[in-house]
Amino acid sequence: MSEENLIARAKTGDKEALRELVKKYEKTLYSFAFKICRNRDKAENIMQETFLSMLKSLKGFDGNSKLSTWLYRISVNHCLMEARKQKKGIFVEPGDDDELFSDKYAADWSNIPHKSVENQELKDILDRSIAKLAPEYRIVFTLRDVQQLSTEETAGITGLSVPAVKSRLHRARAFLRNEISKEFQK
Amino acid sequence: MKFEPVTCKDVIIHICENLNEDIDSDRCRAIKHHIENCEKCREYGYSIECIIDWYREYDPDFTDTQHDALLKKLGLE
Ligand SMILES: [Zn+2]
Repeated sequence: MSEENLIARAKTGDKEALRELVKKYEKTLYSFAFKICRNRDKAENIMQETFLSMLKSLKGFDGNSKLSTWLYRISVNHCLMEARKQKKGIFVEPGDDDELFSDKYAADWSNIPHKSVENQELKDILDRSIAKLAPEYRIVFTLRDVQQLSTEETAGITGLSVPAVKSRLHRARAFLRNEISKEFQK
Repeated sequence: MKFEPVTCKDVIIHICENLNEDIDSDRCRAIKHHIENCEKCREYGYSIECIIDWYREYDPDFTDTQHDALLKKLGLE
């Protein structure tokens, strides 16, 4: 059954269709929420809240965007709400470009042995580094680079312009590179 | 047509904004030329690829228990 048909049936409250939609997107939305909040329990909660919002507002879904875009948008809102519960001042906005691209962070990446993410030490470094990045940047990096959505789709989900997505993306990447380099230099 | 000389910073921003995009302009050719001759920029590109791969691969498992809990929460079990 096409997604359009599923949505039409789900809008009438058809449980089978709703279950199908949930099954189709649960893993993606859980994984996305985890990649933003870096905590399994919080990610599960955000995913559940996202689907609860879907049940509540599916009737108002107009089909002008893809369902996945619409669900990501809801999930982004829940991720941001969760982030706002955290203490103020723990997130860092990437600095200006001169600071971001300063040579002082240039660890010698060519000498970094091939690491696998099965390595717990690397996982901790990845968690710590992205946890410092302001959520608005983390979301753009995750949608665009990690979930591999297009720049246009990322703009549609976040409500940013395409140039703003590009700018946040390159600053988020430079920020992560600097943080990870600092960890490797320890 | 004239443009400013390409710097490492330009290249880095360009690589970042256009990874996976088809690029063909005088500016892009100048950038490609710079990359071919600049160790620093190649290393930057490599490091960003590593970082993206790591964050992609670092994916939590989604279990049947979580699926069942979700359906229950939604009243769809
Ligand atoms: Zn260079």
